[in-house]
Amino acid sequence: MPYRLDDTAADLRERLYFPEVIRGVGILMKQFLRNFFFGREKNPDMLARDRSLSQNATLQYPEERVPYPPGYRGLHRLVPREDGRPRCVACYMCATICPAQCIYIEAGELPDDPIEKYPTKFVIDELRCVVCGFCVEACPKDAIRMDSGEHAPPSYTRAAQIWDEKRLLRGPPVSYQYDPWLRRGASSIPAEKLAEMKANAKPFSTVATDEYAQTPGFSVKNLAAEAKARGETLARK
Amino acid sequence: MRRFLGMLLFAMFGPVALVLLSYGLYWVVALVEHFTSGHGLPPTYGAAIANVLLLMAGVVMTTAALLTVGERKWSAMIQNRIGPNRIKVFGTSVGGIFFLIADALKMLTKENIEPSQRSRLMYELAPMAAFAPSFVLFAVVPVGPSVDIAVGTAVHKVALQVASIDAGLLFVFGAASLAVYGTALAGWSSNSKLAILGGVRASSQMISYEVSLGLALVGSMMAYQSLRLEEMVQAQGQLLWGFLPALGVFLQPVGMLVFFASSFAETKRAPFDLPEGESEIVGYFVEYPGMKFGMMFLAEFIEVVVLAGITAAIFFGGWHPILFEQTLKDTFGEASVAWAAICAGAFLCKVLLLCWLQLVIRWTLPRFRFDQVQKLCWKMMLPIALGNVFVSGALILLDGSLHLLAAVGLVELVAMVLLTAAASKKGEVPAPAHAAAHAAPGH
Ligand code: SF4
Ligand code: SF4
Repeated sequence: MPYRLDDTAADLRERLYFPEVIRGVGILMKQFLRNFFFGREKNPDMLARDRSLSQNATLQYPEERVPYPPGYRGLHRLVPREDGRPRCVACYMCATICPAQCIYIEAGELPDDPIEKYPTKFVIDELRCVVCGFCVEACPKDAIRMDSGEHAPPSYTRAAQIWDEKRLLRGPPVSYQYDPWLRRGASSIPAEKLAEMKANAKPFSTVATDEYAQTPGFSVKNLAAEAKARGETLARK
Repeated sequence: MRRFLGMLLFAMFGPVALVLLSYGLYWVVALVEHFTSGHGLPPTYGAAIANVLLLMAGVVMTTAALLTVGERKWSAMIQNRIGPNRIKVFGTSVGGIFFLIADALKMLTKENIEPSQRSRLMYELAPMAAFAPSFVLFAVVPVGPSVDIAVGTAVHKVALQVASIDAGLLFVFGAASLAVYGTALAGWSSNSKLAILGGVRASSQMISYEVSLGLALVGSMMAYQSLRLEEMVQAQGQLLWGFLPALGVFLQPVGMLVFFASSFAETKRAPFDLPEGESEIVGYFVEYPGMKFGMMFLAEFIEVVVLAGITAAIFFGGWHPILFEQTLKDTFGEASVAWAAICAGAFLCKVLLLCWLQLVIRWTLPRFRFDQVQKLCWKMMLPIALGNVFVSGALILLDGSLHLLAAVGLVELVAMVLLTAAASKKGEVPAPAHAAAHAAPGH
């Protein structure tokens, strides 16, 4: 808490020194006793903590984590369609705008899909990324997002920080009503699946809101746990 | 809530545990005495050896070692942190106790790097010279009253005190001023500019405070008319006006403040940690690796414990339990071991509380500048202590029954309380607008 600093001369009482020392010791004793007798409030949302008894402000980091605020630019992900393919059409917009030049894309062709183009390679070097979020802004297809709510996990090798399309493609799928594969159909998607996808599709938003840029409750940690439960291992070199 | 109850239980059973411990101490001392006197040695030999081992090596060492962890843990509580809790055995950290073992292991296994230009003999001697005097101070502190314990047919007089010597307090002053040799030697012999700066600071600071340390206790010596600590403790058991125990803190409040402050300077801990000054010169022990540094480090904590012991003995009634004293005495009987154990437990409680108080003060105050340290000593403490000597002397001369001294002391205490409570509320805290903006979600 900020205190205003008054540059006034010390009065006689303060110059006697001992009274002020005793007062200071009293304040600290109070603080000690309330933290001694009352346990730490463990709510990871620090601002919501009840600090009327114990004022302990510690967060045991790796075990407890502050939930990141909406809009937090976390680890990238390639947003999947509901049939599992990436939404990305390999237009190179993100690679072009990226100030750190850390996105590398190689385009391939899809014979059975109206979008025709897709990334055979989509690599982000998380060590070079400056987390500016430009790639997300630049993408015309809402195909790349930073809504994972996690920062890049630490690793012992540089290679593990290079995320390719296999690791990037994850998280809940998104579709919009205007998506070409929904409007025109794709020979790779069965008819009933297409109907289901159409039913789930969101209308296109005209204003950018957190709700559109974020997927609430999605986190890489949970994804990793799910993948582990399925018996997969994340490609870590 | 669980923590609250747990801590309450801890605070309640802590003293009980200390009493039980003291009971054990009494019996062990009695048995050792019995054993040695059975082998034809003078009876006091066994008791002295047992007391040295139990009180000095056992109680003081253990308390000091625990304080190294306790300081970290308690300062954490003061600063709204958790403190050390990462070393866990079977999933619990038990207040960070295991850090003690980790620290000891670290100190003992560190590489032994020594400056090549050191003065070898002095360099090796300094840690011991710093360690021993603070340790030896505890010899005259009476932990418990003397009591007769019968082992078999023989009756032994057992007191939890290493040495009862006539010089008493003079021994305390002498041994305390020896401590400066360790620091000065360490600073000089390691042949480093920073170390010698620390050593010089330490010597000038400790020698200055020696004076007010001694003078602060002159009033107590006059009031209790003795230099022996156990007699001073005994004298504090008497009641003034039938209800007020003649504690040093009532008779000599000013002396207590000056003594406590000076003893702080003697321990070389913040706010008087100029010899160390880790942000500027790193101190007289910069060139010491591993356990040699550990000894200097531990010497500080030992000094904390020992000075807490001396303060408790002279100013806070020593082993007198004060609370419910008469009831306890009547219940257990004045000659019983149980009563003596209660007394010793009370003393240990006081020592622990005073150690805690010293740590709280250490975490309250920022460090003085060196000229401020000297100014505080020579311009403030010394005149106050001198004045206290004359005033107390005059009051004792006027009224030998100490009533006048106690009355003046109480007035001084009340004045102190009033002055402390009279804090003006200047400088209102502005609304935390900036912080609130940071705290807003989405910021
Ligand atoms: S966040 Fe910025 S630096 Fe990182 S990949 Fe996207 S555009 Fe490049
Ligand atoms: S992620 Fe978006 S911007 Fe980048 S290539 Fe794919 S569609 Fe284009």
